[in-house]
Amino acid sequence: MHELTRMWRNTRMVVLTAMCASFYAAVLIPFMVVPIIPGVTHFRPANALPVVCSFLFGPAAVWGAAIGNLIGDFFAGLGPGDLFGFVGNFLYALAPYRLWRACATGDPVPKTAGAWALFVVVVATGAGLCAATVGFGLQVLGFVPFAVLANVVLVNNCVTALVLAPLLLAVLYPRVRRVRLLYDDVIGPRPALSRARRALGVGLALAGALVAFGGGNLAAAGALPPSLAASPNLGLAAIVLPGLTLAAVGLVLL
Amino acid sequence: MSAAAGRADGPPLVVRDLTCRYADPPAQALAGVSLDAAPGELVAIMGASGAGKSTLLRCINALVPSLAPAACDGEIRLGAQALLGAEVGRLGGRVAMVFQDFEAQLFSTNVRLEVAFGPGQLGVAPDEIAARVERTLALVDLADFGGRDPSTLSGGQKQRLAIASILAMEPEVLLLDEPATDLDPIGRRELYAALEGVRGGRLVLLAVEHDVDPVVRADRLILMQEGRVVATGPAAALVQDVELFLACGVRPHDLAVLGRRLGCVLPLDVEGAVAALRARGLPAAAAACPPVEAPPAPPASGGAATPAAGAAVAGRARRASPILEVRGLTRVYEGGTRALDDVGLALGAGEFVALIGQNGSGKTTLAKHLNGLLQAQTGEVRLAGADLRTLPLERIAREVGYVFQNPDHQLFAATVADEVAFGPRNFGLAGDALAARVDETLAAVGLTAERNEDPFLLRKGERQRLAVATVLAMAPRVLILDEPTTGLDYPQVRAMLELLARLRAAGTTIVVITHSPWVVVEYAERALLMRGGRLVFDGALDDLLADEPLLRSAAFEAPPAARVARALGISARTVDALARALGAGD
Amino acid sequence: MALSLYLDHPSWLHRRHPVAKVLALGWLFVAAFLLDHPAPLGLLLVLVLAATASARALSVLHQMRWLLLPVFVFTTIIWTVFYPATADGPVDRWVAFRYGLGMALRLETFLATGFVFLATTTIEEFAFALSRLGVPYRAGFVLTLAFRLVPVFLDAALTVRDAQRCRGLDFTTGNVATRIARYAPVIVPVFIGGLRRADQMAFALEVRGFSAGRPRTSLPRPGMDGSDLLLLGVGGAITAVVVALRVAGIGRLVAQ
Repeated sequence: MHELTRMWRNTRMVVLTAMCASFYAAVLIPFMVVPIIPGVTHFRPANALPVVCSFLFGPAAVWGAAIGNLIGDFFAGLGPGDLFGFVGNFLYALAPYRLWRACATGDPVPKTAGAWALFVVVVATGAGLCAATVGFGLQVLGFVPFAVLANVVLVNNCVTALVLAPLLLAVLYPRVRRVRLLYDDVIGPRPALSRARRALGVGLALAGALVAFGGGNLAAAGALPPSLAASPNLGLAAIVLPGLTLAAVGLVLL
Repeated sequence: MSAAAGRADGPPLVVRDLTCRYADPPAQALAGVSLDAAPGELVAIMGASGAGKSTLLRCINALVPSLAPAACDGEIRLGAQALLGAEVGRLGGRVAMVFQDFEAQLFSTNVRLEVAFGPGQLGVAPDEIAARVERTLALVDLADFGGRDPSTLSGGQKQRLAIASILAMEPEVLLLDEPATDLDPIGRRELYAALEGVRGGRLVLLAVEHDVDPVVRADRLILMQEGRVVATGPAAALVQDVELFLACGVRPHDLAVLGRRLGCVLPLDVEGAVAALRARGLPAAAAACPPVEAPPAPPASGGAATPAAGAAVAGRARRASPILEVRGLTRVYEGGTRALDDVGLALGAGEFVALIGQNGSGKTTLAKHLNGLLQAQTGEVRLAGADLRTLPLERIAREVGYVFQNPDHQLFAATVADEVAFGPRNFGLAGDALAARVDETLAAVGLTAERNEDPFLLRKGERQRLAVATVLAMAPRVLILDEPTTGLDYPQVRAMLELLARLRAAGTTIVVITHSPWVVVEYAERALLMRGGRLVFDGALDDLLADEPLLRSAAFEAPPAARVARALGISARTVDALARALGAGD
Repeated sequence: MALSLYLDHPSWLHRRHPVAKVLALGWLFVAAFLLDHPAPLGLLLVLVLAATASARALSVLHQMRWLLLPVFVFTTIIWTVFYPATADGPVDRWVAFRYGLGMALRLETFLATGFVFLATTTIEEFAFALSRLGVPYRAGFVLTLAFRLVPVFLDAALTVRDAQRCRGLDFTTGNVATRIARYAPVIVPVFIGGLRRADQMAFALEVRGFSAGRPRTSLPRPGMDGSDLLLLGVGGAITAVVVALRVAGIGRLVAQ
């Protein structure tokens, strides 16, 4: 996790964080008039951006996505739910670049079938973590049930990111590399990780996302052992929180 | 001036044999630059793009090489402090810079907090910060704006705020990197006035500038080319060297060119030049009367006759069968502001029209009505007789093209050819027809050799021509360009304008929105002048130039040559016409 | 589009210390979260509305009616439908509706409290409060800077959209995937514009002493006064009452 804190000492990374955040918010805001769930989520073509920025700017995109979402909420209602939006978008931008660099050596511009498969898995993991976080938080706060929101967020994020992100990356990645603003160029490359650590990290991240999102949906549908379902929210928490923790630990390892 | 060099109240800035080579992509930016600047001095730096001006300032401010990978050698000192290779953070604000892009150097949502930002980073005591904020805001004439959000300020105000924010750190060296480039004439005037107030004392002022008119007032001028200083000297004297300016890719001063043509040295202010010319017995009676150009028509009040023969033809064509016709166009924004107020005009084939006026006078709003981006609320816009509101955007775009101010706002494709193909492809062109259109367009703008390059990597002037090409590819009959020369150096501006002249000669109607007076007088025949949402002048450019009160009220200042001609009673608006009228050969 | 919800006029709420406002905001969020019965939630909402009115900020709620009204209707309906099922038999629809109403009122209280906070607090004050509450300076600075850049990017996005419309880009036809793909010609230029600006912005920050490494100072700022403490006290008292109600089991619809 070191690079997530170390980047704050680098002025370029600070600027890139602000750019990711404001860019995300600026594309979010004009489409807020098309609500999917009023007051909670909208049609968000902007949701491809945290994924794109993640591959380009790494840690700056992670903080940028979290802060950008917060600023977007400044115009659509500040509330306790923003805390979950913050964490959810943090994970949404954290997963792609970390999983990609652990599993692949090439540019994150999918061209082969294998690269596409990895791209889909990587994006879906991030989207699943975001969906589980936001869905859990807003159900507990009493905004929207998990079963509704988590699935809306997952579909919205996956569709926009999988359609738009490869298009954008194909054009932007070489250009950002050319001006030396890829995160590796700005904060310097990191030492390679051992194969075992990569395997563990990827495994934990994928398993955690699956537990948090899939398990959360099962819990919300009432398909839980009664001992867990003392109350709906506690039951949900018992599944989603360990899943998210698992995934976060996995991503930190990468 | 150099006499100030001995003054003891501040350290001088010394640069010796400075070389700088960027690592990625490898490029020699500076090749042995030396200069001295004394406290109180204002030194102007000019040169074409790529001359190394910005790199020089960045080296002095220790931004290069500490923040950009580059190999630098030589020496930069401020008094005893070595600046080359220092960490910019450790300079404690002794050296500071104002950049061209004001949006990139304002970080706050409140004017006072913006000014307080720098001193706050340096740990200046709170009460002292408060005092500096008030003092510097007053210095740049923003004292009444302390509570405002910078995003509500005009460009000129933002740039002055940037200067105040730097001055609040009390630097000893203030570097300005083309601070006026993105500003309109009023913004520029205010900026230069603010700089006059700042100038002197113990401050070393180094300003990169692309416009020669304000440079005349600097103490010294340095001309740069390809990383070297090619000339340095008192500004007023050096500006007279027309050949040197042209060789460096910088537009020379009108009156220096005029003097050169007449074989004399003229003062660089209009009154002085007029007096000097009169003293030489110019204009000779024969030259002054009859004028070399046709006599001006009576002031026009809308679609009037134009004197030049070509324009007269265009004028007849316009009346007979206008391409675009605007009648009673009014647009009222929420809150009651009239962006457009009863505007009427007609555009014919093959015209070259300058659309001028201050920022906020309604130029862009009018232009956006001409190509259907905005629909008429009251009144109408007709394209070849048909109401624009009834036409699909596709049809309008094929007739009326609009090139936005910033080329980067329309370029996105991976190659130059793809970029050009985007528009026509959207409108159904395909296969060989599309390929032929792309080839044709690239040839027209001179980018055939770059067809497979990434637009991102083109130089600004090339990107600007590519932006024109993207619109040209739809083969419009009318081409509207919003500030197509901003941020380009002189050779690039010339290339752009020659391109427009060629298109016009081929029958395209050109409408240029511009703040640049010399561009207007050299290329346009007809002028549309907007003020407060009203079209206050529509007619021959010569008639507009004759109406000084009207020009003044719209903050449009004719170029020096046109003003000299007018003072001498000669009907000429360009240096060339004036020189010929005064008897100079070619 | 009015981008900032901040209302630039003096009011008692505008004058409160940012830290007091952030803490009071937190208190109210907690209080609303702990309630689920429509009656006390309605009371809380009335209180928030009274505070909004006294700060002359009702216009913000009016401006946001397109959000507040659908949220109310939608939340009431969805929680009436999704009322947490328990093991002991069929759901009482009346109870479910009251629960839905409670959730809607809770959500409206969150939103209204957030809006009145934003209407009376500048982004710099918010960042200052966060830094006082332990958030690192640079994080608060990014929040401020990003907020300031939003209109810049938004402007660019609208301009680019216009420029591409002139070249025949059409957002209104085609299936979802093709429509989404059409955002690329808008997003790329805005992004590139930002990219060209990023280095200069980092330079400009460095020039202003961002990495000077000295203890930072600011314009003189008044500390908390009696009214700030009163605001905190009232917020705390409301939360305390709510906690007491909850512990006593009064006014709960659903056991959690």
